[in-house]
Amino acid sequence: MLTEYGTKHAVHVITNHFGDLVAKVCECLLRKGPLTRQNVKRYTELSDEQVKNALLVLIQQNCVQAFTTEQPDGFADGPKANTQYVVLFDNILHRVRFAKFLTILSQEFDQQCVELVQGLLEHGRLTLKQMFDRAKSSEKEGNLVDLDSLRETLVKLVTAHYVERCPASEPLLMPISEEEGPARKKGSKSAKKIGEPETIEQQVVEAALPMEAMRFSVVTNVESDVGEKEKNSNNVTPGEKRKHDVLELDECGVADEQSVVYRANFEGFIRRLRHKGCIDHVRAHLDDGAANVLSAMLQATSSAEKKVKTKNSVPLSLSSIYEEVIKSEAGRNMTLDHVRASLVQLGELSFVDASSDSYSIDFEKIIEIAQNEEVESVVSKRYGRDAYRIFRLLSKSGRLLETDKISDTTFVEKKDAPKILYKLWKDGYLLMEKLVVTGARQSQFLLWKVNRQILWKHVLDEMFHAALNLSLRVSYELDREKELLNLPADKRTGPLQDRYNRIRKVRILLESSQMKLDDAILLFHDF
Amino acid sequence: MSKRKRPDSNAPSDSLTDHERLIYDVIRSKQDMGIWTRDMKRELRVNLPDNIVTKSIKSLQNKSLIKEVVNIHSKGKKHLMAVEFEPSKEISGGAWYSEGSLDTEFIKVVKSQCLKQIIKLKVATLEGISDSIKRSGAFKVDLTKQQIEEIVRALVLDNQIMEVKSNGSGEFTNIPVGKVCYKNVSKGGGGGEPKTGSLASIPCGVCPQINICKPDGVISPKTCVYYTKWLDF
Repeated sequence: MLTEYGTKHAVHVITNHFGDLVAKVCECLLRKGPLTRQNVKRYTELSDEQVKNALLVLIQQNCVQAFTTEQPDGFADGPKANTQYVVLFDNILHRVRFAKFLTILSQEFDQQCVELVQGLLEHGRLTLKQMFDRAKSSEKEGNLVDLDSLRETLVKLVTAHYVERCPASEPLLMPISEEEGPARKKGSKSAKKIGEPETIEQQVVEAALPMEAMRFSVVTNVESDVGEKEKNSNNVTPGEKRKHDVLELDECGVADEQSVVYRANFEGFIRRLRHKGCIDHVRAHLDDGAANVLSAMLQATSSAEKKVKTKNSVPLSLSSIYEEVIKSEAGRNMTLDHVRASLVQLGELSFVDASSDSYSIDFEKIIEIAQNEEVESVVSKRYGRDAYRIFRLLSKSGRLLETDKISDTTFVEKKDAPKILYKLWKDGYLLMEKLVVTGARQSQFLLWKVNRQILWKHVLDEMFHAALNLSLRVSYELDREKELLNLPADKRTGPLQDRYNRIRKVRILLESSQMKLDDAILLFHDF
Repeated sequence: MSKRKRPDSNAPSDSLTDHERLIYDVIRSKQDMGIWTRDMKRELRVNLPDNIVTKSIKSLQNKSLIKEVVNIHSKGKKHLMAVEFEPSKEISGGAWYSEGSLDTEFIKVVKSQCLKQIIKLKVATLEGISDSIKRSGAFKVDLTKQQIEEIVRALVLDNQIMEVKSNGSGEFTNIPVGKVCYKNVSKGGGGGEPKTGSLASIPCGVCPQINICKPDGVISPKTCVYYTKWLDF
């Protein structure tokens, strides 16, 4: 689902973080789909060295994944391995969410964990040795870092699935019969339904992923990892050249520490954000009690979730929900009856499915309602209350309705309804169909409908556009007051202080809006 | 038809000219649907000059045989109907229309009454709301169940109430299982005013020019007046 402004926003993020050169390579991959290094060079007109370095940065930061395809026979050179690079759009978006990830972490873990992940987010990928060196260099007095405690921290984070081993550097993608190239990027919905990966991007990520047990493991036992060593050495990315000189070391454990590369597991964080989003949504609609119950249900079932976009949680009985509720401080004052009543409330809104005494969270429903509300709020603000009612009618019915019927049901004046409908249609919020009836006298009816799939894509593009605009405005405002911001505090007096206060407020407002808008992007893109 | 025609044709319609008679018959044959002047002319079997038609219509109106009614679909057009008929729902717009316009005041009152009863009853079926309103004596006229239903549907679209199905226990004790009920939207809806979403709370979310806004365009986030206003501290 790569839209025009999705691409622009991603390129902007990369430009901000890594400069124009890397951004140019990134944009080329975003627009053209997977390419070989030769082709990147050709399209960007950069030197071989520049392209190589840009790709290395992007790989190191988990924004690009390399893969190999085997060219089929029949060409002059015979079958030939061919390395291509595919950009990971989602991971670029995650770059603006690092602060959110760290907040989650600080709520669940101690400072050492936060610092470790901070290092991983900053550098993209690190070995245990590198993590140790990094911790050492920022070591404060009286707060010594030792390798064992660092390893323990890492194990904790890996077990919680917030950190993972890096994927294979260059998996082999089996040739597929379908045509290749960017045209395939969008994939068809039907392909998704039967469980096939949708895009090349997804196929490559899938192919590169280590096996579950491997992905979330830290080898600490020296004896047992002899066989592991070989695999691990394959795991090193092209960006990590330092493995060779350590392989001869006697102790495999040490070798592992220097060769196995770890990175933050974005999926783990996004899953957590999704849960948080659901809890917040429930709290806004119902009350703290219902939010506590949902939160307890999530706590009890999250380990069974295999992917981010889980539809339903595994079913739980009332007693196991209650058991989980009273584990938390907030839930301790809830009685069994209170929990039961909250479950009924959750059921009324279809947030939870109840069947034969077991309860399961309907993630899709919660997210769908949250998405609806976001779009409805835009409609209400941009087009007014009548439009809001009309939009809700069409969105709820999900089918074509005729102008007159719409105006009757929504109590909108007959002469106003077509105007509102036309405006919504023109801006891409509705679909229109003309129906010509030929009878005694020919008459024409207009039918209207909300197509969620098309509209959601449109709204998401507007969100990316807005995110880009916010970011551009922040840089513009800060750039305008650059001198003032560099002034020492005691030199800011009178009007200068006023201007300083203004820019501070502007910055806070813009940056908090960026965070909030990103929540909406998460809701539409990632959840 | 013929039964009603007799007694009427005693007095004024006896003294009609031939043209008037022709026009009157066409209008009257349309009963409670009435007819637009232009359409009527087309239906006349003979071709009458415009001035004769206009004169005849005037005369028929003076004799109180026909009247002009408002057609909600085309308010500007002259719509004629025989006096003994009341405009049908298609022409008048139904109970919610008064003189061709949506009776917004009336609708508002009925809406707030329905909402009041739903809040009072906590959970209510359509019948429950209808009875409760009748008992309250808020309206001189009786509202039909269909009217209440239309208003309740609009309240759902307003996000002031929500539709739920009875499960037969708790607050639904007196309501059969599976029956559709209505409840006040407790939170989030905030009196029907939708919660402002993330996109809607920044200028771009409600910007009418978003489609022509480009980073370096004539309209750009750097020069945007909506932004300037928003950031005016």
